[in-house]
Amino acid sequence: MNVGDPIEQSALDRRWRLWASAAVGGILVVGAVIGMLVLPNFQRENAALDLWTAICRAVGITEGSPAYRQPITTAQALPVSQVAWDPDVLDILANANPQQGAQIAAQVCVACHGENGVSSVLEYPSLAGQSSAAIYKQLSDYRSGARVHELMTPYAAQLTVPQLASVSVYYGRFAQQATGLGGRDLPGDDYIVKLAREGDSARALPACDSCHVPGAGGPIETPVLTGQNLQYLAAQLRAYKTGDRQNDVYRRMRDISEKLTEQEIDGLARYYRGVLF
Amino acid sequence: MASIAANDALPVPAAAPAAGEGLRSRRLVLSHFWLAFAAFLIACVLGAWQMWARSPLDAPAHTASNYFRSVTLHGVAMAYVLSTFFIMGFGYFVAETALGRPLKWLKAGWWGFWIGVVGVLMAALAVISGKASVLYTFYPPMTATPWFYIGLVLVVVGSWIWCGVMIAEMSFWKRDNPGQAVPLAMFATVANAVMWLWTTVGVAAELLFQVIPASLGWTQMVDVGLSRTLFSWTLHAIVYFWLFPAYIAFYTMAPREAGGRLFSDTMGRLSFILFLLYSLPVGMHHLFMDPEHSSGFKFLQMVLTAFVSVPTLLTVFTIAASLEIAGRMRGGKGLFGWVAALPWKNPMTLATGLAFVMLFFGGGGGLINMSYGMNAMIHNTSWVTAHFHLIFGGTVVIMYFAIAYAIWPSLTGREFASLKRVRWQLWLWFIGMMVMTIPWHGLGLEGQWRRVAAFDYTDPIIATWGPWVIVSLIGGMILLVSAVLLIWNLLPAGLGRRTVQVYRYAEAVHPPGRVPAALNGFALWNVLVAVLMLAAYGWPIAQFFADPPPQAVIHHMDRGID
Ligand code: HEC
Ligand code: HEC
Ligand code: HEM
Ligand SMILES: [Cu+2]
Repeated sequence: MNVGDPIEQSALDRRWRLWASAAVGGILVVGAVIGMLVLPNFQRENAALDLWTAICRAVGITEGSPAYRQPITTAQALPVSQVAWDPDVLDILANANPQQGAQIAAQVCVACHGENGVSSVLEYPSLAGQSSAAIYKQLSDYRSGARVHELMTPYAAQLTVPQLASVSVYYGRFAQQATGLGGRDLPGDDYIVKLAREGDSARALPACDSCHVPGAGGPIETPVLTGQNLQYLAAQLRAYKTGDRQNDVYRRMRDISEKLTEQEIDGLARYYRGVLF
Repeated sequence: MASIAANDALPVPAAAPAAGEGLRSRRLVLSHFWLAFAAFLIACVLGAWQMWARSPLDAPAHTASNYFRSVTLHGVAMAYVLSTFFIMGFGYFVAETALGRPLKWLKAGWWGFWIGVVGVLMAALAVISGKASVLYTFYPPMTATPWFYIGLVLVVVGSWIWCGVMIAEMSFWKRDNPGQAVPLAMFATVANAVMWLWTTVGVAAELLFQVIPASLGWTQMVDVGLSRTLFSWTLHAIVYFWLFPAYIAFYTMAPREAGGRLFSDTMGRLSFILFLLYSLPVGMHHLFMDPEHSSGFKFLQMVLTAFVSVPTLLTVFTIAASLEIAGRMRGGKGLFGWVAALPWKNPMTLATGLAFVMLFFGGGGGLINMSYGMNAMIHNTSWVTAHFHLIFGGTVVIMYFAIAYAIWPSLTGREFASLKRVRWQLWLWFIGMMVMTIPWHGLGLEGQWRRVAAFDYTDPIIATWGPWVIVSLIGGMILLVSAVLLIWNLLPAGLGRRTVQVYRYAEAVHPPGRVPAALNGFALWNVLVAVLMLAAYGWPIAQFFADPPPQAVIHHMDRGID
């Protein structure tokens, strides 16, 4: 507001205020009327909606999709993973007690998964270096029956959920102190290295490393492969391939393993076992 | 009128502040410009390496993680550091020279600068350490180390201080000069500052309430729909923030440097006001493919988007008219004779011409982006990167160069040693940009993805892309040469004779006397922006709180898995 304006000046200012507001408001109203009244009215018949519902959807106060109500399915779910990464599960992991986990590990798990979580029995997986999310996912699946193994299932079934979380967190944190999984050299023949690092687009096979390398951006439960025991890796890929193991969410690993040949499975298992440097 | 040739050396007028050393904000302006151009030079080197890495030729140190580290640094340096610091520096210069009096709040300006410097260093070190390869668009639920975001927030805080100084200087001036029109260059600069304050609200809310708590590990989940919506609030307007200096140069510098006058001062004011109004309530056009918003609000924002094109059309018309005036004043005749008569040896005139050519091609590409069906074809392909390099890296940045060249003598008190080298630099930037972006657009049409670390050219399906990427790489190398030339031109080594110059802006054909308050301030427009933002973004944001949707698990890129 300029000081000392003559009267015409302030009349002019008023006109500007009025017309600018009218123009801006007018455009706004026209846009809203077309987008929220006119278009829904013309398009509602495509989705067999009454006018009121169509308007509410266009405004966004009623859900807009799917256009038709879906019938409630009565199909029974296959025994697949029950783990969903919701805030409750993440809180359980965030608040778990690693000391308690250490005790459980020392009393129970050490027998098969080795001192420091590095397993010396080649059929049994190493755990040190795995993320706590990965371990929690697998333990929960054994517990719920989504993944089955005669040796492992009974131990997981014994644990309560908080115990399960604490042992997961224990092994997850443990990784930083002991060399378990992760730090390896991965020599391999060119063909296998390419499969691991780039995949094979002709067969729609994604690169293993696009998920299995820490930080690559794969699902949170993706386990570390580098340094895992050879026999264990090969057995898991075959179990996915035959469908003996089906706890992978969205069939990710089953779809991938079905496309791998026997030689590729052995080659990849050898590659990821790696050599300690 | 004695002479209207550009940048003529003037005897120091007794009343005006002595030129060169006399500018009170001289060191402040230069510090901003040098930080901007240092970031620019480093980012150009990275850009050239990126193109090399994408080509069939073997680039050194080429791994996926290096690629994304580099793209993040390049994007941040160009989009946030070069632009913000250039705009701030130019703003201080305009405040002092257009208002014709020393800055009152110079100290605050220095605070803003140093806060920004600390922020830049924090963010840059975070990216270099490899713990922040999340690209300059953040994309939660990916999160980087908190240092990255905190650094960027500091840059924004520094820029808020700049906004405060700009607004304050204008109101002090208005208080001391009642009833007079604020000079157009300052009016536009404050329009940009006001717009920037509105613009940064979205991204600041996203960073402070969602991303930083997530990256610190305080929250486990993040509402990605909300963060995309908040980012969209900023996303369109930030582009106009970058663009403003170019438009300020078009209106208030180019006409005079070309030897003419501004066709219409009022057109200029209206354009800048329209940018302020319609850059903000339109960001949802970046979310057309997103499911979280209803069709009604998407439509409304699309209608409002249509109005952002008005100020650009106004500008093309006004500037073409102003240049025609210049051409005719210089004796140009006939339908196009005035074009030939323009002083193409003048850097600002040359840059304006080249910028308009790039705007022509880039604008054509933009029409494709804003068409729903065609956009689906080029979405997330190299087309998009090529497009914004042409518009932002081309049209806008060449005007940044031109502005620097125009005001450098009055800042440093020295002339350029070689205007020829200055023109070479501008031409090389133009040529390099065309050579780089034309094949890049083509590759996008063929489906080449953007933001990909490497291509396997042994694959017959994409083998034919290889040679075209090499052409783009040659363009990139030309750009790099031009960037080095820029620095050489601006360093003391590139300067020549001493001179005393006071920068003078273009005069309008009809200089504004007393203008309506609406064209001399922003009170009314702020109210209208608030109304528009409330209408366009009120419910779309409120719905996330009224009916919270499922959230996404945070993915800590700086920690690996876990
Ligand atoms: C008697 C031996 C034995 C004991 C004791 C045992 N495990 Fe296992 N564990 C196995 C075997 C064998 C497998 C591989 C099972 C398969 O192929 O499905 C396995 C698999 C796992 C896996 C899946 C690893 C992966 O990479 O998918 C986890 C996690 C695990 N065990 C955790 C534990 C924990 C924690 C304990 C202690 C509470 C424990 N185990 C005790 C034998 C044992
Ligand atoms: C899309 C991401 C993705 C890709 C690509 C992928 N994996 Fe997996 N992989 C997973 C996830 C997730 C799991 C855990 C599945 C579960 O919950 O049982 C897994 C599990 C595995 C396991 C079992 C490990 C264990 O400790 O139990 C093996 C072995 C494996 N993957 C190998 C591979 C190989 C080899 C490739 C490449 C041919 C590959 N994966 C590609 C995501 C991926
Ligand atoms: C020497 C000149 C330049 C070269 C060779 C170059 C090259 C590149 C390349 C290859 C990419 C990566 C594209 C992808 O991965 O899809 C990129 C991204 C980008 N460039 Fe440039 N560029 C240059 C100059 C500029 C300029 C001047 C600007 C703007 C001022 C700019 C802004 C950006 C931005 C914002 C990105 C996006 C980063 C992302 O996708 O996250 N570049 N550039
Ligand atoms: Cu936009």
